[in-house]
Amino acid sequence: MIRFMIRRLLQSVLVIFGVTLVTFLAMHMGGDPTYLYVNEHASDAEIAATRAALGFDQPLPVQYLHFAEGILHGDMGTSLTYRTPAVDVVLRHFPATLELTLFALVVALVLAIPLGVMAAMRRGTPVDGGIMLFAMVGQSIPSFWLGIMLILAVGLGLRWLPISGRVPVLDPIFAGDIAGGIANIPHAIPYLIMPGMTIAFFTLARTTRLVRSSMLEVLSQDYVRTARSKGLSELRVVGYHAMRNAMLPVVTMLGLEMGFLLSGVVVVETIFSWPGVGRLVFNAINHRDIPLVQAAVILFSVTFLVLNLAVDLLYAQLDPRIRLHS
Amino acid sequence: MSYIERKRRRRITALVSVFLALVALMWLAGVRRKHVAHSGQVVQFTADANTIVIAQANDADTLDPSDVGSADTLNVARMLFGTLYDVSPQGELQPFLAESYQYSDDGRDITFKLRPGLACEDGSPLTASDVAYSFDRAANPRNHFTGNASGFLIPSIGYEGSHVIDPLTVSIHTAKYNPIAIGLISEMLVMCRQPYEHMSLREASTHPSATGPYRLAEWVHDDRIVLERNPHFKLRQTRYERVVWRVIPEGSTRTAELLAGDVDLITQVPPDQIDAIRNSETAKVETVTSTRRVYVGFNMRKKFADTDGGKAIQDPRVRQALQYAIDVPTICEALLRTPCSRAATLVVPRNDHSGIAPTPFDPDRAEKLLDAAGYPRGKDGVRFHLKLQAPRTLYGDGNVAQAIGQYLTDIGVETEVDLLDLSVYVLLTRQHEAGPLFLLGTGGSTWSALYDMSDLSTQDSGTNYTSWHDGLFFAAWKDLEQTKDPAQQQEIMNGMLREFHEGAPWLMLYFQPDVYGVSNRVHWTPRADEFISLY
Repeated sequence: MIRFMIRRLLQSVLVIFGVTLVTFLAMHMGGDPTYLYVNEHASDAEIAATRAALGFDQPLPVQYLHFAEGILHGDMGTSLTYRTPAVDVVLRHFPATLELTLFALVVALVLAIPLGVMAAMRRGTPVDGGIMLFAMVGQSIPSFWLGIMLILAVGLGLRWLPISGRVPVLDPIFAGDIAGGIANIPHAIPYLIMPGMTIAFFTLARTTRLVRSSMLEVLSQDYVRTARSKGLSELRVVGYHAMRNAMLPVVTMLGLEMGFLLSGVVVVETIFSWPGVGRLVFNAINHRDIPLVQAAVILFSVTFLVLNLAVDLLYAQLDPRIRLHS
Repeated sequence: MSYIERKRRRRITALVSVFLALVALMWLAGVRRKHVAHSGQVVQFTADANTIVIAQANDADTLDPSDVGSADTLNVARMLFGTLYDVSPQGELQPFLAESYQYSDDGRDITFKLRPGLACEDGSPLTASDVAYSFDRAANPRNHFTGNASGFLIPSIGYEGSHVIDPLTVSIHTAKYNPIAIGLISEMLVMCRQPYEHMSLREASTHPSATGPYRLAEWVHDDRIVLERNPHFKLRQTRYERVVWRVIPEGSTRTAELLAGDVDLITQVPPDQIDAIRNSETAKVETVTSTRRVYVGFNMRKKFADTDGGKAIQDPRVRQALQYAIDVPTICEALLRTPCSRAATLVVPRNDHSGIAPTPFDPDRAEKLLDAAGYPRGKDGVRFHLKLQAPRTLYGDGNVAQAIGQYLTDIGVETEVDLLDLSVYVLLTRQHEAGPLFLLGTGGSTWSALYDMSDLSTQDSGTNYTSWHDGLFFAAWKDLEQTKDPAQQQEIMNGMLREFHEGAPWLMLYFQPDVYGVSNRVHWTPRADEFISLY
């Protein structure tokens, strides 16, 4: 187990190195970013001074090495837009994104598992057809379109939910005010529903299909037939014996889905004015705020890797047939 | 339990679930208008006569008065900080914190007399020393400011220092006489020395100490900035106790918030949302022709002369001919959904006394002029090829660029439209690398033609994006420095504008129509200079 973890951690370091390199090169393509940090009336001397001050006059490998050295010291540079450490800016926005993705994941799982089980149990019936149609639609609808439609229908038409904005829950909790964060939850939920559903919709559809196919496979197993022949109730057969094994692929997908949800927040946070990391990255790319983009991408990568590592470990615990050393 | 009973139970469960879901949604709808601060305190933003909620696309990037630059940031900062002079809604310069000014004989010193009774946010007196500090802090290169004051204003007036004569009198020393110095200085936000001397630059960017009508109450980054009336500011009466600036990047979301009654004023209404607001019962559209000039630049740098089109546009006759190819009013009507007039020169019409008329849409004439210039259509109907670069997200989301490309192609100038991400495009234009054609909008002013012309203050100016070289035009700036007689200045400017018209470095399009969405519950009139004023 320890060898497995060490190997995965080393792989993660390599992945993060690759991510930083690709991000760094991508951000430096397309011209000298110095011009974005000087007034349009700046003289050549002022431009040169700014270039030197920002370190953009150094060769790219040197700039990258400085950046990599900074990471090792926990310093990812200063945001060129906010004039504060890039890590601080990203961490300030991270609770909003985490809140949204966790909400979306919970919504997706809470709805997808019963829908998938129901479709499997009613295989070939109109119920199964309806759920699969819903899943197909869910995987086909672009999130920006769904978001705008929800705003128009639920926010503007029915006036049931607020169109944009956020009430923080995790921010006060991370700041040590747990009671304050919990007290905000009832006020936060209305703001979470539309953006959360918009992000969750694709995951919900995909997970529903996954649960259905997994359940169908498990339900045809001998041990399920044996359980039924023993006279166990259908609820116990499905809910206890079949579900436990059918959920294994879902657990595997969980880490990937979280990564997908994190990447999906860029569009949704912009549409719903959600002050999270996705929108921050979008603006940072537009402003060529290189330290900020790099800090955000590294944070996303680390989150994604940690989640996948956790899922791998969880999977090994759930399925004793898995041999970690293999 | 029988099969029928199980089925009945399932139906009852489904009905109860639907009922509970509806109850939950109704409960959520009940709390939807409440907003909770970190402390958990519930704050009502809307339906309050003393509060106005304004939504714009971007958050302020800094509230350090020496470093603010973007239009969205300036809108907020101008409510927090006073200026010596400012621009009236009618577009004239008027006294604000200062009551008068006087130029020295050589024009290099400008002495401002402050109004008595001015105060800082903490109630202490605002004096000439604070004004001097505001200039010195913005001009200090060690601060590495890149905003409007340090990057444009200070170098433009040639600021060399300040001298406090008495608590209400301060003299600003400049390198040379500048006829538009007062207008430029009207953009200098005045701060109080005492709080800022004790703040780091980082603190100063987020903890503004007000000298204007409002002070900062709350700033939730990328979400909202809440301002409340500054009790120590007595100079002018504002209409609202509180101003909430909400950050809503997406245009359709801003519109939906306006129509839902959750915001009172939105900026930058996208063309496709205009009808939705016009047809609503809760809000209206307010438009104003702004001072922002939108044009297609002909980049005359040698690197573009290698292509047939790049070479062709070096010829002023070609640049003049292409002016006739574009139907500007139709572009505005069809793509921006707002009427506009074609711009004649780079100066805002109210300050343009050159008598130059806008070029009419006449494609036949454009073709004849191109023939006469030695660029007839080839066998394939093409005279030469050009590339038009434009930002993807501006100017009708690239639609204006597409239309211009088609108009030019129609007269035999085959034009490829290259839409770029904004950050890439800004870099290219700043480095004078965009082109050979590029679509751009640059800000002008309501108060001086010279300000509008200052984009072309020298041949190697950073804002001479076309790299236009015209001896007569640029030499005339020297003549302007020699005279303080307004009539003579006007005559020189008219000559420069005629030279600009004939040289045609810009394919003139329009002064950008600014479109705002305004709730019926507020009365507000937009200004041409993009400034949101609540006086």
